[in-house]
Amino acid sequence: MIELSHVSKRFGEETAVDDISLRVAKGKFCALVGTSGCGKSTTLRMINRLIEHSEGDILLDGQAIEVYDPVKLRRRIGYVIQHTGLFPHWSVARNIGLVPRLLKWSAADVQTRVEELMDLLGLPVGEFAHKYPHQLSGGQAQRVGVARALAADPDILLMDEPFGALDPITREKLQDELAKLQARLHKTVVFVTHDMDEALKLADHLVVMREGRIVQQGTPLALLQHPSDPFVESMLGGLERGLKQAALTRVKDHMTSMGPTLPAQSRIPSDFSLRQALSMMLRDHSDRLTVVDQHDVPIGELSLRRIIKEAQLDKGSARE
Amino acid sequence: MSLLDALPTPRLRWGRLHPNIVLVSLSLIMLAAFWLLDVVSMAPNRIVLGTGHSALEAFGWPGALLATLLIATVGIFACQPSQRHYRALLATIVLLMALMPVGLIASSYLLIDPELPQARLGLGAAYWVVLFVLLLCLIEIRLRLNLTRLWPTLLLSGVALLWWLCATFWLDSLALVQEFKARDQQFVRAIGQHIRLVGIAVSISVVMGLSLAMLMRRYERLQKGAFAVLNFLQTIPSLALFGLLLAPLAWLAANVPFLDRIGVSGIGTTPALIALVAYSLLPMVRNTYTALEEVSPDTLEAAKGMGMRAGQRFWQVRLPLALPVLLEGVRITTVQAIGLTAVAALIGAGGLGTFIFQGLGQAAMDMVLLGALPILMLALMVDAGLGALAEALRPGGIR
Amino acid sequence: MSNSLGAARQRQQSSPWLWPLIWGALLLISVVAMASAEPLFRWIEPDARQVIYGRADFYVLLGRHLLVVGIAALVTIIIGVLAGIAVTRERGGDFLPLVGQLASLGQTFPPVAVLALAVPVLGFGTLPIIVALMLYGLLPIVRNTLTGLQEVDPDIKTAAHAMGMTAVQTLRQVELPLAAPIILAGIRTSVTINIATAALGATVGASNLGDPIISGIVNGNMAYVIQGALTIALLALTVDSLFEVLQRQLRSRLSTS
Repeated sequence: MIELSHVSKRFGEETAVDDISLRVAKGKFCALVGTSGCGKSTTLRMINRLIEHSEGDILLDGQAIEVYDPVKLRRRIGYVIQHTGLFPHWSVARNIGLVPRLLKWSAADVQTRVEELMDLLGLPVGEFAHKYPHQLSGGQAQRVGVARALAADPDILLMDEPFGALDPITREKLQDELAKLQARLHKTVVFVTHDMDEALKLADHLVVMREGRIVQQGTPLALLQHPSDPFVESMLGGLERGLKQAALTRVKDHMTSMGPTLPAQSRIPSDFSLRQALSMMLRDHSDRLTVVDQHDVPIGELSLRRIIKEAQLDKGSARE
Repeated sequence: MSLLDALPTPRLRWGRLHPNIVLVSLSLIMLAAFWLLDVVSMAPNRIVLGTGHSALEAFGWPGALLATLLIATVGIFACQPSQRHYRALLATIVLLMALMPVGLIASSYLLIDPELPQARLGLGAAYWVVLFVLLLCLIEIRLRLNLTRLWPTLLLSGVALLWWLCATFWLDSLALVQEFKARDQQFVRAIGQHIRLVGIAVSISVVMGLSLAMLMRRYERLQKGAFAVLNFLQTIPSLALFGLLLAPLAWLAANVPFLDRIGVSGIGTTPALIALVAYSLLPMVRNTYTALEEVSPDTLEAAKGMGMRAGQRFWQVRLPLALPVLLEGVRITTVQAIGLTAVAALIGAGGLGTFIFQGLGQAAMDMVLLGALPILMLALMVDAGLGALAEALRPGGIR
Repeated sequence: MSNSLGAARQRQQSSPWLWPLIWGALLLISVVAMASAEPLFRWIEPDARQVIYGRADFYVLLGRHLLVVGIAALVTIIIGVLAGIAVTRERGGDFLPLVGQLASLGQTFPPVAVLALAVPVLGFGTLPIIVALMLYGLLPIVRNTLTGLQEVDPDIKTAAHAMGMTAVQTLRQVELPLAAPIILAGIRTSVTINIATAALGATVGASNLGDPIISGIVNGNMAYVIQGALTIALLALTVDSLFEVLQRQLRSRLSTS
């Protein structure tokens, strides 16, 4: 668990981070979003003491971070950065095994762990273990970066715009993989990004920052429904907000049982999002869809009116 | 956002209260040198080695105390660095430099027996150390105050003028001055020769270097071969290259009368010029080549896209953008040639090196200085001048 | 492009030691067999009393030359690299601007002038040469150590730090290996200049490979000049080609770029 209370950071006259408080529960994924220079990276780096905070308390598992030895602390926390920071003179395998070796694991253990991680991240050992970073594509290099961060199986993972330098297709693929990985490993993740879609897609807890302060935080859905001010609203995409919200809602949560009328022609799997359902309606000129399970057996239906109503209903429920 | 922007830079870290350790240590070094080393040496005539004299003997109590106070002031101001204190430091250092010849005048009155017209005053180790450290202080302050090179250059020129005045009118007993007065015409001629040799060699290699670099851009095969040959030449020690040129040229001069008539000979200007050009070509070609190659392909593509012809692209885009790096090549070449020309004196090419090697031969150290110091100054001046020119030519001061 | 590069690399890899071996062998031959080339030199200088430089054997001269350059190189490498490391650490950071300026400014000083200025202070003989070589040879090494360490990608240093490497571990396992090619280039420059400057030391009374050239010039004996010049040139080429091999091996081991 990570807890920041009233944390500030000043560089000389300039205040980079101003009185922020935030809590990331164990196994949760927290995204810090904001424009350049809003203090999100600084906040991240205070957690593993790359930067020492000036005021307030930072607690890891209830213990103030000043208590830990900074070097040992960093070995316990995974860290991924935008340009990977892989050591160009080390092979992929050696790069991944860095932290376990720093922790004086036996050579055999390190090797087992490295192979396990390469497997986990979809890097065939035979093909990649002996390659050097400059021989990798951007996406491959960042997988190695993530593998290196996970090597000593840390509870906490800090990621600083890890996918910022990748092309959109690779980025999306890696985002999906990260989501799957997180569903399996349940790390406590703090993820910095300026890409709101990325944050909405991955985060359990969303923190919007501006000029060193937290403007708003909450679940992605809560933020979409009630942006606290125009800045957050514009960050969330202004008019696109409705669609983004629909993207976070599953079809199966809003379908109704089959009505007496003939089932609609268009079929949609129940784990698709409402956004995809809307798109399908537009494509098929239809205001009704038949919802099917994974075996393509109809289990319910979804109407345009229902979607629009649901959106309003959510507004009510999220207010409590 | 770049991660490093978030890190405190070292410059921010030393705030107002941290002392400038650099200047404090430099001031301590000066104090130690001033009191522990000989300040001046005095010799009854040219050949005899002088006897050293400490600060007290050379300047008397008042002079030594004044110098100590001024040097200590540097250290004290440096303990509390601020813009104002740096300016005060700059003034103190210039004052110290200006007082150095005055100190020599004082010690010539205190130490030299008027009965001995041959007696000469030499600069002691302390003088050299303090002078060197003062220059270091100047550099440090320039960096801290973010001054351009112009300011220190102006200040130093002022100081140099003062020294020259003192040397001309009141410092007859200074060994360097006596050495100069004994051969002032020779000295002027030697400087002329030196500059002429450097000038000719650099001009030839600029022309040759430019053409070679352009050819190399066209013919890739030439590029590898030419760089290999030039690198090879650069590796051979100067003395050896001069030596290796001596014999064949002497033979040519002896056996081909025509060449002899146009001035080719084993000894003298010809081998010197050949060797100088051979050495100068590598830095010249390398910088020209990289300068022309390094112009961003995007810029050139844009120029092409806007409809500029090849000639226009070269003269209006590539060359102006390459010019600063190209000038950097000229700077390196010239500075290197100034030093090598000194070696050329060994094979009779003349120049300031003559004094160095004659002085070494006669064990007359002041004569060595008479050769070495102007060479050093020449190199520094060319370096500063061409460096400033390159900076001025960099469009909008990109860097 | 990459294809031709690869081919070129293969060709070079097949015989990395070729040039050092050739130059080294020629140097050895010239040192050992100089005396037996007397007829050749007699043809160059038919009138001279003696055509083979005889004040000392060539291998002795070579030994002295190497000793002087070697001592200077050893000291300068240790001091230069340590100084470069010291001023790039946080604690020595205050000295960084000055040392950086000095290292680049020092390149302006002609080696002859440095040698000449060392004599009044240190006297004649081998000592002033060693000191002058050390002073002069220090600058390229310091400068390149600074450049090398400063050019290490900040992201890589951040990563090392963030993974929990100590400062010493980062320096030894990351910064120095990455800066090594540039540092080695500085050492190469330093040693090349020093071989040349040491030869000039013959004018301040040191006996080394410069001596035959100087005394040849003084006595007008071209044979001496050629003997000395040839041997020094071969020495410089041997050492330089050795550095070339070292640099190439280092680069391929780092396999960056």
